[in-house]
Amino acid sequence: MTVGVPALEPSDETLAARAAGGDNSAFELIVQRYQARVFRLACRLTSDTEAPDVLQDTFLQVYRHLQSFRGDSRFGTWLFRVATNAALMHRRSDARRPAESLEMYMPQFDADGRHRATPAELQVASCADELLDRRVLVEKARDIIARLPDLYRDAFVLRDLEEMSTADVAQALGIEPAAVRQRVHRARLMLRGYLSDLLGVKP
Amino acid sequence: MNHVVCESGVDLLMDFLEGVLPAEVNAALEEHVAGCARCAAFVRSYQATPRIMREATAITMPSDVEASLRAFLRARTRAFQS
Repeated sequence: MTVGVPALEPSDETLAARAAGGDNSAFELIVQRYQARVFRLACRLTSDTEAPDVLQDTFLQVYRHLQSFRGDSRFGTWLFRVATNAALMHRRSDARRPAESLEMYMPQFDADGRHRATPAELQVASCADELLDRRVLVEKARDIIARLPDLYRDAFVLRDLEEMSTADVAQALGIEPAAVRQRVHRARLMLRGYLSDLLGVKP
Repeated sequence: MNHVVCESGVDLLMDFLEGVLPAEVNAALEEHVAGCARCAAFVRSYQATPRIMREATAITMPSDVEASLRAFLRARTRAFQS
């Protein structure tokens, strides 16, 4: 019986070890493998105009600090931590973002703690991608994520947009998993309410 | 006390979905949502929000950004020399 042999690609950890030992082609493969995801993360945490710089900083840091990757986390987790730090450093050097309250998008309750909105109103946000023009949704989504308070934005981007585990997000941001959950929850509530509002419905 | 109303249920939602609530609180929330059309609708939109935002922000890296990255790394490292 012949068994098909899948094309074997070196693992991230193998490439990292080779690159740390001076194999530049291994580093190039790491760049190739991760550049699109790092760029997307950078766009989500900063902006289109800042993302190319964040991308460059990230891979320069990775190149310089490969020797410090100890293998106590997966290489991808470590690389994303480097990218997150690069993005946050960039944002800190840019003080133009005003803090904005998005409390108006939080769900509303009556005195007995019941939802004020009807089931149909409460559900409408789940169809936002079907009900809104795609271009409008893309533009609005990027805008509202940029308007989230930084604490919520960072946790939401890593946990829900990059789909990292809560434990990995906690490590990347240097906070407890419970704090990650609390921040992601607040972001989800605000964004859910914002999608409702875009569709002309109260949150 | 594990009595859940919509407002307290919303507070618990993330922990519920992550599976970190104590069993009795979990059960109380499930029971409330099962009997509350508003919360059932709310949960659906709460769960859909990350996916909608993820798809709406899934950007592709432009080729000129990739070219700039290579030029940058060529100038500062020993990679991408050929």
